[in-house]
Amino acid sequence: MLVHATLDFPGWGDPNAPAHLHVAPEYLEQAYEKTATPNVVTAVLADYRSYDTMFETAVVFSAGLACFFLLRVQSRKKEEEEEEDRYFRHLATDMVIRIRTPSMHVPDSPYLQQLDPYWTPRSLIVRAACRVLTPFIQLFALYVVAHGHHSPGGGFQGGVILGASLILVALSHDLRTSMKMTPEKLMGVLSPAGVLIYAGVGALCVAAGHNFLDYGALAEWLGTAPEAARSLGILFVEVGVAVCVMATMIIIYANLSSAGGHKQGL
Amino acid sequence: MLDVLTVLLTLGGLVFFAGATMGILRFPDFYTRLHAAGKLDTLGALLTMAGLAVYNLDPFSMATLLTSLKIGLAVGFIFIASPTATHAIVDAGVRAGLRPWVKQEDEQQ
Repeated sequence: MLVHATLDFPGWGDPNAPAHLHVAPEYLEQAYEKTATPNVVTAVLADYRSYDTMFETAVVFSAGLACFFLLRVQSRKKEEEEEEDRYFRHLATDMVIRIRTPSMHVPDSPYLQQLDPYWTPRSLIVRAACRVLTPFIQLFALYVVAHGHHSPGGGFQGGVILGASLILVALSHDLRTSMKMTPEKLMGVLSPAGVLIYAGVGALCVAAGHNFLDYGALAEWLGTAPEAARSLGILFVEVGVAVCVMATMIIIYANLSSAGGHKQGL
Repeated sequence: MLDVLTVLLTLGGLVFFAGATMGILRFPDFYTRLHAAGKLDTLGALLTMAGLAVYNLDPFSMATLLTSLKIGLAVGFIFIASPTATHAIVDAGVRAGLRPWVKQEDEQQ
């Protein structure tokens, strides 16, 4: 049935296809006048198709939530069991011994070296280079978020760059350091907060007596023309998307790289 | 005058890129190939992008100067990031226990 139905679709790139006759010319001709946003893609994404983008943000949030539930909760029990494990390296043979019973006595021996199981090798060069680069990456991410009106970019892309810069910290130092900088609870709050910012902007429009996510309604409060208010509304929404995407990326990375333990990363 | 400089810089960059490609294809093992990729790619990128920055300056104004400065920034970041990435990959190779290539006679001794 489905395959049969696809035969009735218009051909690839057909200029007479319905999608190209009704909405597309209107978007291209009127987007700038109505939203004061030179980048038509952003105008369509965050204004005309705003519902779509809001639920995309919700999907990103639920991806992070799924990752948290699947990996994080299970590993809490496992963590308690593993906590008492001690590791020793036999220096002569380079073998590593794991001792699981906490009561067992290990004699002090020049041939045995106790290992920190969460220790990861660090490279000074990589750490220093990442420390230099990370602020610039984050600055660039903010630029991408704020400049989505004029050039390619926007909330999703900026949020991903921001999240990637924090993942770079986790890769170059270790996961425990980065989890101190971006605590799990904070990220867990920020991820739904991004969706809430988005939906909250929509709810403000309702409160002003317009339709949900009709940013022109914000003109009175912002003291600007309705077109400029639409442009600003897009910016607020993009900030919400960026916050959600960044927090979700960190949640997903931290859970996947450490199998939910949040102690030893990659 | 600027055009001559652009051509010289870009051609110099292409020479280094060609060397890097030859090195990646022809060198015998992981470490030597990375050596070619890490060093020559960085210098090639530096020279070609410097060429672009000079070319961009032709009708000189604040706008073109700003664009050229941005290209310069990108070059600076490549200059930091590319050798660091090469270093990290080589480091991972050493830790994983990959032994460097030696000549056959040396290995027999």
